[in-house]
Amino acid sequence: MKEKYIQSLGIVLIICYGFFILWLYWAEPKNLVEVSTKAKETIENTTTKGQIIIGTYEVDAAKFGDGLKAFRAENYVAARSFFENADPERRDAKTQFYIAYSFYRQGFGKLYNDDELFKKGLEETNRLLTLDKNFKADDADLKMKTPAELKNEFEEGLRLTAEDFNPLKLTRERK
Amino acid sequence: MSKVQSPESKVEELPVIDGELVEVSPVEVDLDDEEKTVVSAKNKIAKTQNPKTKAQNPNPQPAIRNYLFLPFIFLTVTLLGGWRLSSPENAFIFWRPALFCLISAAILMVLFFRAGLIKFEGWFSEDFPTLQNVANGAVLVTLFAASAQIFNALLPEQGLPFWVLAFCFFWTLWNNLFADFDTKKLLKSLGALFGLAFVVKYLILANLTAPASESWLQGILQNPTKEAFTWALDLPRFSGGTGYIQFFTVAFYLLGLFLLPVSPQKK
Repeated sequence: MKEKYIQSLGIVLIICYGFFILWLYWAEPKNLVEVSTKAKETIENTTTKGQIIIGTYEVDAAKFGDGLKAFRAENYVAARSFFENADPERRDAKTQFYIAYSFYRQGFGKLYNDDELFKKGLEETNRLLTLDKNFKADDADLKMKTPAELKNEFEEGLRLTAEDFNPLKLTRERK
Repeated sequence: MSKVQSPESKVEELPVIDGELVEVSPVEVDLDDEEKTVVSAKNKIAKTQNPKTKAQNPNPQPAIRNYLFLPFIFLTVTLLGGWRLSSPENAFIFWRPALFCLISAAILMVLFFRAGLIKFEGWFSEDFPTLQNVANGAVLVTLFAASAQIFNALLPEQGLPFWVLAFCFFWTLWNNLFADFDTKKLLKSLGALFGLAFVVKYLILANLTAPASESWLQGILQNPTKEAFTWALDLPRFSGGTGYIQFFTVAFYLLGLFLLPVSPQKK
């Protein structure tokens, strides 16, 4: 075998083995089973990042559809899980709007709102505003169409005012 | 009447033959710059008669050792150097090297050059093809990575023991940097240094560390002294398997240094 082939092979060995070691120290698997799981995750993430770089990234339509079904069935936890899987890079405004909206609907209460869920919803809405502040939903089922409306609802829900003790609040409807 | 010829006149009549003297006794032949072997005179003639064959089919063993085997050893050391097993569930922990490990590895590389374990002009030259320079550089990068990880393996992970041993390492390396070393002395010195550090960390400190227990109260009742040392010296609790892994890490590293040529380039 010619020396230059051995040198080339050596460089390939160093690069491959070196990347494997760097990956191990980055991913920190706890056991051999986790090595394969984390490798799969890394490949998926790399693929998604590659799609973003070359501009072919798009939301998984099937998972988005499942999320929408769960959302309409008022199963908001499952809906969020589907939406997050459909848009792992959180780059699609529509999917992120549904995620934020799911926090509103789950956290809404006639007597009182769930502050934890509203806080998370507010965070999601703020992220959505940085993503696309002019976003407008086209779903007739949603009474709030823009992130600004949603943000206002979250902020009002988190604020404690004298209006909160108004008994007429019990008649308000979830949007 | 026939003329009787003297022995001298017989010699004068012999034809002149150009050639080299064939020695009957075994002779030493340089096959390459690092290997010397004793071959019979016949073998010598056979080799010298066909110099082109030797040039076309060089011995690939040194190249395989330098560009495949050595990087493999050094990268294995890099992999194993930060590998720990947690106690008691034996989960993998990949301990990243501290900045001090990188500094020590850099000093160690300078030491290798100063002591003549590595000759710069033998590894890099404008006369070499680019591929060879790149391949040589890659081998030295693996040596640096392995050196950083060997310090990671031998230094305690945190607390006072880390700083004490780090200071000892730094002191020794700094002194060595200005001492006159040859290759053998350097290897012996490093073997002794790493061996001692291994004993301190994986025999002495590991035996001062209390085993993981269900509660701190149970730990104090069962191993009061060890618990006190563990707490005072901030010793991490690793499984016993860690010591075995690190033993082979040190062994592989020293083996790699032993096999490392001064220069991969043939004369």
